[in-house]
Amino acid sequence: MKERMLMKKLSLLAAGLLFSAGVLAAAADNISVQDPYVRLAPPNAPATGAFMVIKNNGDKDVKVLKADNPVSKVTELHTHLNEGGVMKMRPVPAIEVKAKGQAVLQPGGLHVMMIDLKAPMKEGDVVPITLTFDDGSSKQVDAKVVRPTAAAMPPMEHKH
Amino acid sequence: MSERILMIIAGLLATLVLGLALFWQPEMPERPLPKAAAVNGDFTLESGSGPVSLKDYRGKLVLVYFGYTFCPDICPTSLAATAEGLKLLRPEEAARVAMIFISVDPERDTPARLKEYVEFFHPSMVGVTGAPGALAEIAKRYGVFYAKQKVVTAGDGYVVDHSADTYIVGPDGLLLGKIAHATPPDQVAAELRKRLTP
Repeated sequence: MKERMLMKKLSLLAAGLLFSAGVLAAAADNISVQDPYVRLAPPNAPATGAFMVIKNNGDKDVKVLKADNPVSKVTELHTHLNEGGVMKMRPVPAIEVKAKGQAVLQPGGLHVMMIDLKAPMKEGDVVPITLTFDDGSSKQVDAKVVRPTAAAMPPMEHKH
Repeated sequence: MSERILMIIAGLLATLVLGLALFWQPEMPERPLPKAAAVNGDFTLESGSGPVSLKDYRGKLVLVYFGYTFCPDICPTSLAATAEGLKLLRPEEAARVAMIFISVDPERDTPARLKEYVEFFHPSMVGVTGAPGALAEIAKRYGVFYAKQKVVTAGDGYVVDHSADTYIVGPDGLLLGKIAHATPPDQVAAELRKRLTP
């Protein structure tokens, strides 16, 4: 009898722990980032963009509220609106990543805008970008600097 | 009685059909571009190595792009695609094509800055800019839109909304057409070849 009570308590405790783990899981834990890269800024260009695919493996929508990086003075979240062939770049307050969904940051669309570069960057440099989510958690992404290409995404090394 | 009504209706319908056949001119789906006189693409602006005139390029196809160096994404995407497209051409073809980048942000883009900027994409690309009035006149002729846009949070105070197409000027200085933003290099090369071999 006593044992059964104990078991019950233990399982309750276990369930409780599991539950709180679920509740406490930070947004950052459910986020994975693929193919991050920073576009090499041409000489004299004071700004450039960082691109990546942000995946949300969790059951709740997550918002990226800001991005930071050590190489530019200002970091913003931007998008482009194409209005009849006129490209308009605008800041956005957040980038939403739906539950089990993804947000694609790519040329011509959403991007992390790095403004006022502190020093010229080189191809191959790695820029640590910190994404902060709407629950306050954050995730660091190491983005490699690549030359601008015409393709939407730079050629990736495919691992087989 | 009812037969007469039917006859009248039939008559009206016949008139309607005849009228439509005579007067209805449906819009042709494949209309040639507006036939206004071809636009003269000429301009003279300042590059890092002195004044540059479109007239200097008579006999060549000239690709003209309007942008600004602060542009973090759209201009590099377009310029990289065009430069890669040029590299796909055979040397004798490439020798008959020139590429000019016109900055519509002369406040920040000096000719000297532009020179380094464009050569990053292609060694033979030329960067030019000029007085705001001259730029506005050229843009109007080309049908290019650009507007300085105050964006509160943008690091340097403003961004420039601008048309992102690349314009093709013929060997005679007349505007031939344009290449849409983010057209892949192979299509850029194909488009140029088409124009090089009439």
